[in-house]
Amino acid sequence: MEIDGNTLIFIIIILFLFFSSPGGDGVSSQYEFNQLQRLRNQWSTEYNEFQEMNYDSNFKNITGLKLAFQDIVDDPGVNATYPLPSKDYSHWSQDQKYLLLPNDVISHVKDHVWGTRNRESVDIYPPNITSTLLGHLELVNNNKYPRLPMPVEKFYDPPTEFSDVVPPAGDRYLDDDKPSYGEIHNVTFEKGEISVQVTHLDKVYNRFGSGERTYFNSQTDKWKLLNLRLDFSDKAEHEKHSLLTDAVYDVKNGRILAMTQSAKFHSLFAFPHYMNLQEDKENKKDFDSLKKLINEYWNASNFVDTLTMGNLQDWYDNAVYKCEYVAFFQLEPWNQYTPDQLKMIDEELNWPLGRPANLSLVPPVAFKSGLLYSPDCGLELKFGDVEGKRYEIQMRSIRTHLLFGIGLFVAQIYLLLCQMHHTNTPSSVSKISFYSFSMINLVDGSLATLYFIAASVLPELYLPLVTSSFTCFILASIFETRYLILVYASQFNERNVGILTLLRRNNESERENAPETGNTVIPDEASISGTLYGRFFFTLLSFTLLTLSSTSWPRKVRMVFEYITIFVLNSYWLPQIFRNAIKGTLPRRSRVRNEVLGVQRQNKMPLLWKFIIGTTIIRTLPVVYVFTYSSNVFRHHRDVRFVVILCLYLLFQIAILYSQDILGSRWFLPKLSIPEGYSYHKPMSAQELMEHGSSTNYTVDCAICMSEVPVYVEDVPETHKIDLQTYMTTPCGHIFHTNCLENWMSYKLQCPVCRSPLPPL
Amino acid sequence: MSLKRITKELNDLGRDPPTSCSAGPVGDDIYHWQASIMGPPDSPYAGGVFFLSIHFPTDYPFKPPKIAFTTKIYHPNINANGNICLDILKDQWSPALTISKVLLSICSLLTDANPDDPLVPEIAHIYKTDRGKYEATAREWTKKYAV
Repeated sequence: MEIDGNTLIFIIIILFLFFSSPGGDGVSSQYEFNQLQRLRNQWSTEYNEFQEMNYDSNFKNITGLKLAFQDIVDDPGVNATYPLPSKDYSHWSQDQKYLLLPNDVISHVKDHVWGTRNRESVDIYPPNITSTLLGHLELVNNNKYPRLPMPVEKFYDPPTEFSDVVPPAGDRYLDDDKPSYGEIHNVTFEKGEISVQVTHLDKVYNRFGSGERTYFNSQTDKWKLLNLRLDFSDKAEHEKHSLLTDAVYDVKNGRILAMTQSAKFHSLFAFPHYMNLQEDKENKKDFDSLKKLINEYWNASNFVDTLTMGNLQDWYDNAVYKCEYVAFFQLEPWNQYTPDQLKMIDEELNWPLGRPANLSLVPPVAFKSGLLYSPDCGLELKFGDVEGKRYEIQMRSIRTHLLFGIGLFVAQIYLLLCQMHHTNTPSSVSKISFYSFSMINLVDGSLATLYFIAASVLPELYLPLVTSSFTCFILASIFETRYLILVYASQFNERNVGILTLLRRNNESERENAPETGNTVIPDEASISGTLYGRFFFTLLSFTLLTLSSTSWPRKVRMVFEYITIFVLNSYWLPQIFRNAIKGTLPRRSRVRNEVLGVQRQNKMPLLWKFIIGTTIIRTLPVVYVFTYSSNVFRHHRDVRFVVILCLYLLFQIAILYSQDILGSRWFLPKLSIPEGYSYHKPMSAQELMEHGSSTNYTVDCAICMSEVPVYVEDVPETHKIDLQTYMTTPCGHIFHTNCLENWMSYKLQCPVCRSPLPPL
Repeated sequence: MSLKRITKELNDLGRDPPTSCSAGPVGDDIYHWQASIMGPPDSPYAGGVFFLSIHFPTDYPFKPPKIAFTTKIYHPNINANGNICLDILKDQWSPALTISKVLLSICSLLTDANPDDPLVPEIAHIYKTDRGKYEATAREWTKKYAV
């Protein structure tokens, strides 16, 4: 391979970019290097102070913990500096003199959230509480308590000058008047909803190593380290708050303490003190073992050395845009189980082997009570019952639902095959509404895409999701699109023909303003399928993107969108009703009579009843499930009225289809609006025939196949045995074989001889 | 259907051949014909004999036949590959048209080119601006390739 100068320069540039890109810690300048260095120093110093701390000593120079609530009560203008002259650093007690929390909050936690230890009957709590819990939240007050100042070190600030190398020293107090974008600081709603996503942090991944993980917790029967994601908002979702916190779970007492971490609050070092709010003789022991857990976590994660610019920026953003929270939760005990049973349930959920654990009876993980307090915003929030299924149980139930969904797709494929078999001729396919099937196709296609996206987000459900997606995709893109192509091709000759013309099938009166049908190119099937697939994927992608983005819209807009979309997408029989009226089928009784007489034309409805009923049920079941079953897997709200209206709407559509079957597809149109259509099959007079250049034996040459057409002539009795159905006379007076002209009319509605427009069949 | 109709057209051509053109199948394949057109006497193509290949689609006469010149010709509506720009061979096709009618249309296209809808814009430009040069080149090409 020859390398010329340009290629060489290109390779050099690529290599330069490759090597000059930031390393694992994200540092890309001297300023950032110094920033990170300062951050590491800060944490190391604080960790050393934490090492010297014991149960009877106060926090010293730890970010966010330099002041206690009493300090701000004594002197509202106090600055968070260490050491405060009047402060006692060598004692500790659980009150506002030493804690960030006011005494009211502390006593509320003691009395109502974390119950006193009951030594007689020991409560049993599940060791693993991975789950997502949902419930209601209530604001207690948002202006009663003074706000504790929590400064941010100035080295977090981005450089003001390009040439800056050393980050500024000192700290900065965040100003409430300064507008901040993004998250909203204050909580202003009275009642709202909360979701708590609990995950266990049992092992830490080595960020710079080969991805190996270390289990660090040596006291798993006593403490568990958790990550919590708390999302709360008002009902209308105008105000959303989202917090990521570390938490410690006291397995013996079912207590959970969660604290946010940011540039202004290094809560990691506060866990041992704050976990021991209760007066208890074991406090000292608990303090030491929790301190041990924090140390284990610190060492296993190599905390200081693995800090990156990413951490720095996240902490800075959280400090500026969010309030810090200290949260207390009390777990509902699972006293119906013995510790051994709990262990077995846990193992069965992680490695299903068929142990005798009845998983369907496993109760939800529930927080009996909870309290959130923000020291720097003075906010107090509380909630009662918040619960959710164990994560693995939730996954199992979703898997079952997915399998059921696959069953529905397969049923739909079967029904569609029956329907395709039913309409096996071009004329019967042309009675199918293209738009009805487009709507059905759009829904299936979007489902396939959504399943596929979900499969990449939920690795546990990868297999069932991909299977669903695949089945759905086969249904949508192979069977349905194939059928759509057939329908589209069979109706191509109707392009540029007005609805009225189609309805009347009679354009003798409108010949002058008949639309120009001449300029359409007859496409072959390949180009039709190309266009249709293109259109299918485009609508599919736009609709899927719209649906995905709608999940982030405010609740009200989202609901309106959802309801309208469901309604529109469930009107899939309306275009078919319209199509039936245009194509005009006879009432069932006359169709049966015709069949007896042996007349083949127009003797069946385009859609099978099996297909109509089956498709409607398959498509309505999921909607009914989501809207009526209150603990559905999508966590969708319940709205029975909507489902009833939707079902009535679908029944109404089916009822019209049925009435079209029984009474003829045009019964609802006034008779006047549909004059007698043009009849292609009519006898001719001998004189007329001569004008068209007939030979002596009353036949004409068909211009399409160039062979003779025998014609029924009124004046000549010997021609009367000729069936009128065998030939067609156009409005312009040209005669063709029925087969020949019908064949041509499927390409273009234009007379082959004189190019005048033809009324459709 | 298509076979019957093509056979019929072949018989008609044999019974009543058009004056300046002829056509017939190449070998055994009835769907592949060869045709020849005599250059119209009042055109620069006079004296030349032009050969064309005809391929019938299986759904003939509902789809137009594919016709192309195999002899090189200098004409604004016929390109170097022999493709012909003629509306009745494309969207204006009608099943009532026959091969002899189409060949006659091509003949008249040779007499009266349609430079407003050209396939070769360069030739069309010369045709419009310098008619003498166009005729000279056409005559030269005819002499070179079609005599």
